[in-house]
Amino acid sequence: MRFKASIQNINIFTKLTASLNSLGPLAWVKLSDDQVCFTIIPEQGTQVWAVLSIDTIFDTYTVQSAAGNVINLEVPLTSLTRALKSAQNATSAQIRLTKKDNVPLLALTIVTPSSSNSYAAFPPQGIDSEDCFDVPLNKAFGGGSRETIVTQEVPVRVLGPDTVAGLHEPQCREPDVHIILPPLLQLKSISDRFTKLALAGSKPVSGTTATRTRLELAANMHGCLKMSIKTDAMSISSVWTDLNNPELDPTQVAGGEIGLAEHPSTRMKQLGTADGRSDEGWASVLIDGRDWGKVMSVGRLGGRVIACFCHDHALILYVYLPNENGEDESVLTYYISSYSS
Amino acid sequence: MADEDEPPILTAVSSSARQLYQLLRCINFSDKAHVQINDDGLKFSVDEASVMEGSAFLDKSLFTTFTFHAPSSPKHHSQNSDDEDDEDEEEDDLSSTPTFQISLPSLLETLQIFGLTDPNNNRPPWARDNPTSTVFSNNVLGMNNMCRISYDTAGSPLSIILTEATIRTTCNLSTYEAAFSEEIPFNRQSLAFKTIMRGSWLFDAVSELASTSPESLTLVARMSHGKPYFALSSSGDLGSARVEFNNNLTGRSGAPTLPPTNPNTDDPPTQPNLLETFQLSDPDTTLRSTYKFSQIQKAARAMSQATKVSIRADTQGVLSLQFMIEVETGKVSFVDFRFVPLVEDDGEEADETMVDGEGDETMAHSSGQEEDEDEM
Repeated sequence: MRFKASIQNINIFTKLTASLNSLGPLAWVKLSDDQVCFTIIPEQGTQVWAVLSIDTIFDTYTVQSAAGNVINLEVPLTSLTRALKSAQNATSAQIRLTKKDNVPLLALTIVTPSSSNSYAAFPPQGIDSEDCFDVPLNKAFGGGSRETIVTQEVPVRVLGPDTVAGLHEPQCREPDVHIILPPLLQLKSISDRFTKLALAGSKPVSGTTATRTRLELAANMHGCLKMSIKTDAMSISSVWTDLNNPELDPTQVAGGEIGLAEHPSTRMKQLGTADGRSDEGWASVLIDGRDWGKVMSVGRLGGRVIACFCHDHALILYVYLPNENGEDESVLTYYISSYSS
Repeated sequence: MADEDEPPILTAVSSSARQLYQLLRCINFSDKAHVQINDDGLKFSVDEASVMEGSAFLDKSLFTTFTFHAPSSPKHHSQNSDDEDDEDEEEDDLSSTPTFQISLPSLLETLQIFGLTDPNNNRPPWARDNPTSTVFSNNVLGMNNMCRISYDTAGSPLSIILTEATIRTTCNLSTYEAAFSEEIPFNRQSLAFKTIMRGSWLFDAVSELASTSPESLTLVARMSHGKPYFALSSSGDLGSARVEFNNNLTGRSGAPTLPPTNPNTDDPPTQPNLLETFQLSDPDTTLRSTYKFSQIQKAARAMSQATKVSIRADTQGVLSLQFMIEVETGKVSFVDFRFVPLVEDDGEEADETMVDGEGDETMAHSSGQEEDEDEM
């Protein structure tokens, strides 16, 4: 079992793990020849199934195993995020799977230009000496630039193929409404304010454990998204208009043209209006405000997001990561189930 | 109700939710605020245990549209443009002055829902995800936060509609029956003391005194050697401190004890009088009344925003702080606070000896210390 890759895009990798980490502490990482999958299945709350193309994050990537070159790992995201943080200013970083005292590890080797005190008369010595390789440091004394090499080790668990065989991506009926969301950070700042409002309104019951805020999200097939929350003291809703409802590709819909004609979204198109004032044509879900805030943290990656609403049932977000060469895209899929109203 | 056909009681449109927020934030010390609507505007008032109250008046000039229809057969309306004066009449024509309570924190949160929403604002235009603004779009003019307030009939929610670009937020604030707490009586006819100064100076003084977390704040005013003398002195478990406002330009060294805390108050050398007006009903005696410090401190936000503050005390010791806040060049609004004085008890005697003596040694020390601390 071998896995070795150089991290091409440290920034994206860090943001990705950080936003996944907000939803759950452990990720199932599946490394295979052509893609890397991150899956978060928390006790409760939102599930994430992320499929990334190799070159979204990695470069010179090799993975080998007896099970068809697939490696399944259980990775503690907090440690991984922390490890990646030290690679923020790295010139290069490598990740590989190793073993130390029979514990499997993901070892990150991070090379950073040592800029700590470039004006000091003496070269920095003894910094991170445990984790440093001495050779390059010494070598660098001759030249003007010095490098620091840090190795971060993240203990992981290797999962057997049968362990993960039972894990399947959730199945859901065809969505009623699909819509491209406004920038997530904008959405997040408003939804955070909503939850704050709801909590401020329900102050007297502060004794009860973690008051849940139920955020209602709704969208129609006319480019409108509505987010609302109700408390005793108030009800507030924000409506976005002029959003995009992407056209479905008949080749991708079960049943082709006929399937498309019978697709729930086609029916929803008949209802509602583009100014968002009509009461009809909305597919809505009721979700936990805090959980939603965590989901929204993926906004830092700045991708395009399509939300699929299954009325009263579930909300599925497809977050497409920006990809420079526009090739096979990386998708993060968020499954958020609706509370019954 | 049979008034289905009646026009809504209030429809008001403001081009800047920020202005409203700026004013209402000054009185944000209580969960519920009373709202009174009349021809001249909206008055928001909050009170605490009937010993302190604050009110902000949103004059109709703050709104681009302000339509008010009195709910029942309207009697006379007060025609006073000065909000100071119509407070007296309000009790009389309650029937035509809709009064209700709303949750003030919720309103404030709503008013600032926009503004920080656009993550693009921090970036240069070429780095933005989806360029939403052109040179002709509204946010260039600062018109990006239209705010519409409406109140349909008695008992209906107060709705705030905010629009920004393609987002429209509607907030319906539940209205509650007004709890008729009596307004703190302030007798404008028998003033014991009145002075006007810059709000930031009062703010500096109060924040300076706050460093020792005092319990009470005593207001001292007298004429000393024909010159006005005004001081705020605080006392608490940790000691006492005093800030003096002296109106003489060539004052004794160390006497004008306004500490140089705030860079905004860097005064030009030709400094105008600290106190614009100074009136004592009885110039021969020293006026002294004490208030709870924590309550005065609640007006701090208003102090920091106000261009001017009028400090008045009536013969009963009720303190009125009226803040003039400039929301926009040329447009002023008023925020009022009233405080009931603390009953003077035994502790007062100690206070008396300390404050009384002219150029008192102990006080000079304590205020000196204050300054030292500040400079560190």
